[in-house]
Parts: sequence; C-alpha cells; structure tokens
Amino acid sequence: MRRRRVSALTLLTVGAVLVAACSSAAPDDRPVVEVFGPYRGEDASRFAAAFAPFEEQTGIDIRYVGTGSFSKDIQNRMTDADYPDVALFPQPALIRDFAHRDLLVPLSDDAVGTNMGSDAEVAAGTVGGTVYAVWFRAVVKSLVWYEPEVFRDRGYEIPGSWDDMMFLTEQIEEDGLTPWCLSMESFAATGWVGTDWIEDIVLRQHGPEFYDQWVQGDVTFEDEAIIDAFETFGEIIHQPGRVFGGTHRILNEPWTSAQAPMFNLEPPGCLLYRQASYQEANLPSSVVVGDDIDVFILPGKDGIEPPILASGDLAAAFNDRPEVRAFLEFLATPEAGEGWAAEGGFTSPHPEFDPDAYVTDFDRRLGEILQNAAVVRFDGSDLMVPPVGTGTFWTGMQSYVRTGDARAAAAEIQAGFPEATHFPEVPIPES
Amino acid sequence: MEPTDDQPDRGTHPLADMTPIESIWGRIRQREIWTDEERETVLDELFPDDEKIIPYLKRFATLMILSTTIAAFGLIADSAAVVIGAMLVAPLMTPMLALAASLMYAQRKRFLGSLTLIILGTLGAIATGWLVAKVAGGTLTAASLSPELVARTAPSLLDLGIAVAAGLAGGYVLTHKGAGSSLPGVAIAVALVPPLATVGVALEFGATERALGALLLYTTNLIAIVLSASIVMFVSGFVPDYVRQIARGHLGLRLLPWGLALLAITVPLGLHTKAVLEDEAFVRNVTDAVEKWDPQASIVEIDADRSGSRATVSMTVATTTSDLQPAWKLAQSITDEHGIELDLDIRYQRESTDASSTS
Repeated sequence: MRRRRVSALTLLTVGAVLVAACSSAAPDDRPVVEVFGPYRGEDASRFAAAFAPFEEQTGIDIRYVGTGSFSKDIQNRMTDADYPDVALFPQPALIRDFAHRDLLVPLSDDAVGTNMGSDAEVAAGTVGGTVYAVWFRAVVKSLVWYEPEVFRDRGYEIPGSWDDMMFLTEQIEEDGLTPWCLSMESFAATGWVGTDWIEDIVLRQHGPEFYDQWVQGDVTFEDEAIIDAFETFGEIIHQPGRVFGGTHRILNEPWTSAQAPMFNLEPPGCLLYRQASYQEANLPSSVVVGDDIDVFILPGKDGIEPPILASGDLAAAFNDRPEVRAFLEFLATPEAGEGWAAEGGFTSPHPEFDPDAYVTDFDRRLGEILQNAAVVRFDGSDLMVPPVGTGTFWTGMQSYVRTGDARAAAAEIQAGFPEATHFPEVPIPES
Repeated sequence: MEPTDDQPDRGTHPLADMTPIESIWGRIRQREIWTDEERETVLDELFPDDEKIIPYLKRFATLMILSTTIAAFGLIADSAAVVIGAMLVAPLMTPMLALAASLMYAQRKRFLGSLTLIILGTLGAIATGWLVAKVAGGTLTAASLSPELVARTAPSLLDLGIAVAAGLAGGYVLTHKGAGSSLPGVAIAVALVPPLATVGVALEFGATERALGALLLYTTNLIAIVLSASIVMFVSGFVPDYVRQIARGHLGLRLLPWGLALLAITVPLGLHTKAVLEDEAFVRNVTDAVEKWDPQASIVEIDADRSGSRATVSMTVATTTSDLQPAWKLAQSITDEHGIELDLDIRYQRESTDASSTS
C-alpha cells in the first residue's frame, strides 16, 4: 500500500462522485448482462431488488453499475467505444442521439414491444418510428403541490379547470397572499422548469395530437398556438404579485428551494407549486406527504379530464444478445418494478402494473394517476432534438421570464433547430 | 511454605523431593501468608456487614451515577481523558471481586448479594447513560456517534484477552498486600462503566445494534474478571486451606457456569474479530484496486465497511491530474472481484504540482 502524506494546504477538493455497483458472487458460466444507470446507494439496492426475480427465473446474471454523473460517463463510454449491454437513461434526449448514431439495438416488433402496455410507453422509447427503449420508471409531472390545512382554513377549493385555477389565483391575491411558488435556477439546465410549464399548457390547450406534432418539430415554436401557451404562462409569472419573489427569484433561486416559502413563512409565502413527483425529495423532512402537503393534478380545459405529462428512466440496449433482449423484455412487463415498489420510491408507467405492489400511498396515487389518465405524454423537451430540448428551449425560457417577449423567445428557441451535428453535454436536471 | 495456625500441617516440606519443574511451579505458587485478621480486613471491604452496609450502598450508588455521568459526557464529547477519569471513579470493581471471593468461599448469601448489587449497578448505569444522552445528546445521531462511543461497540477477542489479564491483575492486587496502588491501573485496563454508559447512550439514539455490542463488551469484562480473579484468589492462598478443602469438591461445579459463559462469549467475539479482520483485508483489496484503476490517484483517506454481501467504501483520493479514470470503473472492478453490492463515494483532491510528498 502506498501511503502519501500531502500537506492539507496543497489539496483542493475538486468534486465528489457516488457510484454503486452490484454483482452476484457466482463467477460461473452464466450469461451476464452489464447494466449502466443513474441509481446509486439506496436506489441501487432497490433496483437490484427489482431485477432479482429475473435473475432467479432466467439464471442470467445482471451486473449493475450506477454513477452520479451518468450523462457525462455514458458519453465518455461512447467516445471510448466501451458500451454497456444496457443503459438506463434519465434523459431520453441521449437515447435519440445514440439512436441517430446507430448505436442502439432496435426493439420494434418483438416481445419487448408487445410487453409494453400503452401508446405513451411505446412513444417514449421511439425514435424516428423505431422503438429503441423501454420506459421503466415514471415521474408524474403535471402536479400542483399545496397545503390542505391552509386550503381548509381559508375556504379554497381544488380547481377543476384552468379557469378555476386562475380564479383561485386571484382569490389568493385578494386575500393579501402570493399564489405561486416558482424558481428555476438549475446550473447549465436552468430553464427546464419553464419548459415543463409550456409543455403542460400546450397539451391542455391544444390536445395530444398537436402536442406530438410540436414535439416532433412539425409545428414550430413560432406557431400562434405555442405563442399562446407562452402568454398563458406569462399571466402567472409576469403579473406582479403572483409569484413569490417575482422574476428575479424565478431566475436566480435554485429550483429545489422554490417551495421553501410555503413552509418557512407564516402566513405561507406562496400557496401553489407546480412541480413533478420528484419534488417529494426536496420537501423538509418534517413534512408528511398526504397530510401536511398534498398534490392535485394541474387542471385543463373545463369539462376535459386533464392530460398527464410524465417522464422517467428508459432502458436501451447497445449489444444484441438473447440475454440482453430477455432483460429488456422483462423491464417492459408490468411486473418489472414490483421489487422496487415494495421498497418505495417507484412509479410504474405500465397500465397493468398491480397497485397492490406499491408500499407507500403516494407511490400508489402516482401510479393510479398514470393508469387512470385518458392522455399521457412524455416530457417534450426530453424528446426534442438535443440542441433544442436541452439547449435553446432552456435558454429561451430564461429569456421569456426576463423579458416577457413571447415572440422573441420563440424565435430564439426555433433557431436551435438547424441540422446540428454537434451534441452538447446534457446535465441531468433532476439530480 | 510454613503452616500457619489455621492451616493443617501436611507433614512434608512442600519443595522437598520435587523435580526442577515442580520446584519452579511450587515457587510460582508460593503463597503469601495470610492471617485470619488480614483476610477479615479484606473481606470486610468486599462484604460490608450490618452497620456498614448502608453507607457502602450509598457510596456505591453515588459513585456509580457520577462515574457513569462523567463517562457518558466524555463519550458524547469524544474525550478519552474524561472517560478515563470516569473509570477511576467507578465503584463496580469491588462487587465483582466480592463475587469472585464469594465463589471461592462458597458463600451463597454473599454471592447473591454481590450479584444483585452488580445487576442493579449495571441497570442504573445504563439508565444514567440514557438520561445523559437524552439531556445532552446534542447533534449526535445513531449514524454519527462519536469515535469514543463506536470504539466500545465492537468488542473482539483482544478485549477478552485484556479482560482476562486485568482480572488476574485485579485478583493479584487484592491478594497481595502492598500492590494496592496498582488498582487504578486495573480499572483503566478493563473499563466497566464506559461500556455501560455507551449502552445507555446508544439506546437513546436508537442504535440498538451498537448498544448490544457495548453490552457484549461489558459482559466479556464481567465474566473474565470474576473468573480470573477467582483463580488468582484460589492459587494465591487468599482462600485458606480449610475452606479450600471443604469447598474443593464443589469448586468445579461453581466455576463451571462461568467457564461456559466465557466459552459462549468467545463465539460473538470471534465473529466480531473475524469481521474486523475482513474489513482490514477488504481495505487492502480496495487499495490495490485503486492502484490498478488509476496509478495517478493516491488514497488520502479510506473508510471501508463490509458486512456480508454489502460494502460501503468512502475515500478521498489525491491526484495531480484532472483526468482520472471514471469512478464507475473502480466500482465495477471491486464488485467483479468480490461479488458484492458496493456503495462507493469518492472525493477528489487536487494536489498542486509542487507539493512535497513522500512515497
């Protein structure tokens, strides 16, 4: 063992990384599938619990490695031509890039496809008409977080439509309070919080078919319908007094503390916060979901069941071997996440997932929201070409918050579309 | 060996007609000459009689509570010096030596009395430790106990060795006039109160497993002290021959449960020792893996804990380059070699190029 004594003054901590790996202790001739993903620590163990039944049934050995810098690491592995058998992508934009480079195994028309339960699932993993990926774990995005006790005390009602929600916004303002919590600083990914808002509004105002065309690039950002969506968002963020801290805070406060004024101030600094289900991880430890804090689905047009915007982790294969396909087929089955759901912190995108498998009420509720939704759509910015979806769409949202000029922002975003060959590094906003 | 008044003369000189080995053994065994009065003085200290018992119990309770309080504060504050101070105040050694003496003298009433006192003292100390942690636990949590606390929660066979030797020393000090000044050393070598305080503190923080570990350390010390002190008393002549002869028939029977308890306790201690050795071996393997992973990286600090098929490693590596191999490759090489689940946490430190370093 080499020991090196270095004076503390000469050392500078340049970063920390967390990785997790697991492997069974059987160095025999069982087929091995190497899986690379973003889950570490507790999540890695839970993922291992999810694929344990597959290993038992098939005798295939899953060797999982999880990293805290997935996006960077997977792109470096591509540079080194050192591909895992399967990768779990928290950013599907990367799947599109790899698919365009012909690095992924097409999965269309085989057992993987038939195991999937819904069009939304298939669409999430489809690039250019070919299915490449299996949607394994879901995040529900169209949620508004609120404090039930505050609503009870002040006589507020859960809004049934977008108009009701704007009425509630005015009602809260009249009571001398600030209706909305919102902030979106997220390092290089600042702006993604705003893209979720625009996607939710487009989906609500113009329906899923129009949304799909827009995501595929057939409808431009400069289309009047998209400009409308920006201006609908503007009715919340650009009306003074509707967002806690105003546009300055929206741009500069980390998104993870957007909701803090709801808990830290008395009366609450803001009463409504639209954010995905992973907001659960940002809540103060003393806050109990379902009791102190709850969610309602971001409402849509009056009389229409609100569509659900979702995202999550997708699995794609780099190597075509029978055991690799068998693993992806397994991930596409409704049983795939049961081992994880039993530990908590998992929502299945599969319509036939057994709700009894969920161990927490919140997980079960999210699962039911997805299963009961008439329309589910995958996060559009994740599916758009990377120079837009993880590029100008983000920066354009910053411009729009700053200036309030929807047309200028739309033009800026649309300018990202030319045939880009350069692939930018994609940070993971959720982590 | 000279016969004293109360020792029946065996009629032969003990060292006569012996082989050299027997002669040496005889000299080692050569006992001090105890008069009945001297014995009574020592036994009076160990077993206070009617009028002295109340003050004795008061003193015992007071010192027990105070020493545990000092120990618990010292443990929470992570101060070794304070914990040692607590050991010197602790009064538990007396009833333990008394228990050993009552075993040798085959005195059932005194045996039960001493045992009761030890049990009450033990429970009182755990309660005191719990209370101190409740009041002054501060920012500690089950996951972040101070090193002084953690050190007392994983006893190994080494601790058994220490306890046996200290028990022998304790018996020796008691039975050899003039060795009394060594008693504080014995108390420090085989701490009784700090493990008990640790049990209480760990319970308050909900660290049940750690509390059980500390309780195991205490039990190890208790059994080893009683057993080895008994043996010294028997061998040294503190126990008079007439008692030895009357009680000899039952001696084995009386010591048997303690011997069995000692044997039983070596099982968890052996497992603990194995775990410690495995952790050390694992750290060596991880260190080797880091060298193979990237020769540019040198380990500044490493903390590895392996239990069964799960391991947690957190390390700080220093490097002069910004271009190390990705961490996942290290994680993969370790898991591939050991067939385990691993959580690896690496902190990187940049070493400036002019850093003086020794290899």
